Amino acid sequence: MGVQCLTLKEYKSVFNTLYPSLCLFSNKYIENIEVSKDIVQEVFIKIWEEKIEFHNDAAIKSYLYTSVKNRSLDYLKSRHYKVTESLGKTDFAQMETDPFFLREVVISETSLLIEKAVNTLPAKCAQIIKLSIKGLSNTEISEELGVSLNTIKTQKKIAYKRLKPLLKDCFFIIAFVFEIRN
Amino acid sequence: MSIFDKIIDLSSRTASSILKREKPESLADSDLFTDSDKEYILKHLTDEKLLKKRAVLLQQFNKKEDWKAIQSKIDVPVKKLQIWKYAAAVAVLILGSTLYFSKNHLIENEPNKVVVTKSVITPGTDKAILVLASGEQVALGKGSVYNSTGVHSNGTEIIYKNDNTAKNTIAYNYLTIPRGGQFFIKLADGTKVWLNSESKLKFPVSFVDGQPRQVELVYGEAYFDVSPSTAHKGSHFNVLTQNQNVEVLGTEFNIKAYQDNQTIYTTLVEGKVHLTGSFNSTILKPGDQSVLENHNIRVAAVDVFNEVSWKEGIFSFQEMPLKDIMRVLERWYDIKTVFKNKAIENSTFNGILDKDQKIEEILNIISNTNKIPYEINQKTVIFK
Repeated sequence: MGVQCLTLKEYKSVFNTLYPSLCLFSNKYIENIEVSKDIVQEVFIKIWEEKIEFHNDAAIKSYLYTSVKNRSLDYLKSRHYKVTESLGKTDFAQMETDPFFLREVVISETSLLIEKAVNTLPAKCAQIIKLSIKGLSNTEISEELGVSLNTIKTQKKIAYKRLKPLLKDCFFIIAFVFEIRN
Repeated sequence: MSIFDKIIDLSSRTASSILKREKPESLADSDLFTDSDKEYILKHLTDEKLLKKRAVLLQQFNKKEDWKAIQSKIDVPVKKLQIWKYAAAVAVLILGSTLYFSKNHLIENEPNKVVVTKSVITPGTDKAILVLASGEQVALGKGSVYNSTGVHSNGTEIIYKNDNTAKNTIAYNYLTIPRGGQFFIKLADGTKVWLNSESKLKFPVSFVDGQPRQVELVYGEAYFDVSPSTAHKGSHFNVLTQNQNVEVLGTEFNIKAYQDNQTIYTTLVEGKVHLTGSFNSTILKPGDQSVLENHNIRVAAVDVFNEVSWKEGIFSFQEMPLKDIMRVLERWYDIKTVFKNKAIENSTFNGILDKDQKIEEILNIISNTNKIPYEINQKTVIFK
């Protein structure tokens, strides 16, 4: 499969999958969700208008996260920002480093995968798994939700059964646009 | 691997660990981050307050509005058809695991092309008909309880216990699973069998240790988890099908031998089996699948998950032609399919789907991925 730019359908698929995550990612830098939305939208428009080509899903993500980071940092350097808000110099220096960037990408990508997986579960299962992720024991979950311990165990079983195909081989296999093309 | 590939891989492994409530070892072992960064990452993924903050922010999004904003600023080709042509040429279906995010962008295209006169189609359920040695028939299904000497059913499964007051002749029972059904049976020797829709199993009500154990898959598909020979004084276990005998020593495998297809597929998950019949006898290794057709047998390694996921409540298809996918769905939803456009019969799809899903949800994805309009008329699905 060669390098090609996205079809409209693929483009929209990327938007639907990553748009909110990218906005929250930008928000980690600039702490202003409305401006974050504008930044991410600009990046999306650029991809389409300049017919940027990708050779796999990782390349799309790499491009998006890097562009959003750069634009977010640019915003922090802009006159408009400096007039209206303020940020300590050390904070900014830290934000420009790679570890800061990579750390936020891991958080964003991992959260996205967990949320997607949990959203495939029936409501009751999802609620239990969410509490479990926060570190609650079965007993605590049963008290919190006012249901029996056995129900928790059964629901967890159902959840893992459902998640099994996703968690195959110890990591996620999530199709993205390139799965559609193959 | 580029750093970014590593990050993506690490994220998926970490997500998997967190969901399973295991220690995120990949993160702990990663050389991309310092210990304090690792701690920071984990905190952001599991801390209640931080998760809540993220959830609150996520609720503020209106994806549709923002998509419109983008759409109004970009040049969209007027002839949309060309895009669809391309998409149809690379027909790939994304279901189940990927359904939740494909749905958003796939389903809104021209829903008017779908005609559903009146939906009478429902997913299958646990049900079976038990035929006793006397010829008496018992319908098993949700809500029906059946008890007799050495046998008990709660309506979703049936369990046999070995009757030690062994008689000279062994009585055989039959379990028939209709279309739209599935059932689990535990035989008297402890062997577990999952039966798929439209299948029939013949089995003895009890076994004698030291003597061969034999059952027959008259037709259909079954997954066997065989109680080991060592627990039964070395008794081998045999599964007969019309043209094939599978001899096992304690193992897990799947046999598919439907009547509408003169082919028998045997997939070994664990252990070792020996296949005999009017063909060159063959031994399978775990991960092997044999295909028996016209007295010829061939063996190839397969992705076992795709073959046996049905017993976990999931259908998994990989590079499967639409007509074969529909054959599986026909049995589970008890429907018929008509292809008015023969060309699409062989379009292949990938996908994972939940057996509880509504048929319309699945068909909409097929239809929208490929621009294949369909119609449901009573229990018939028509691809136009």
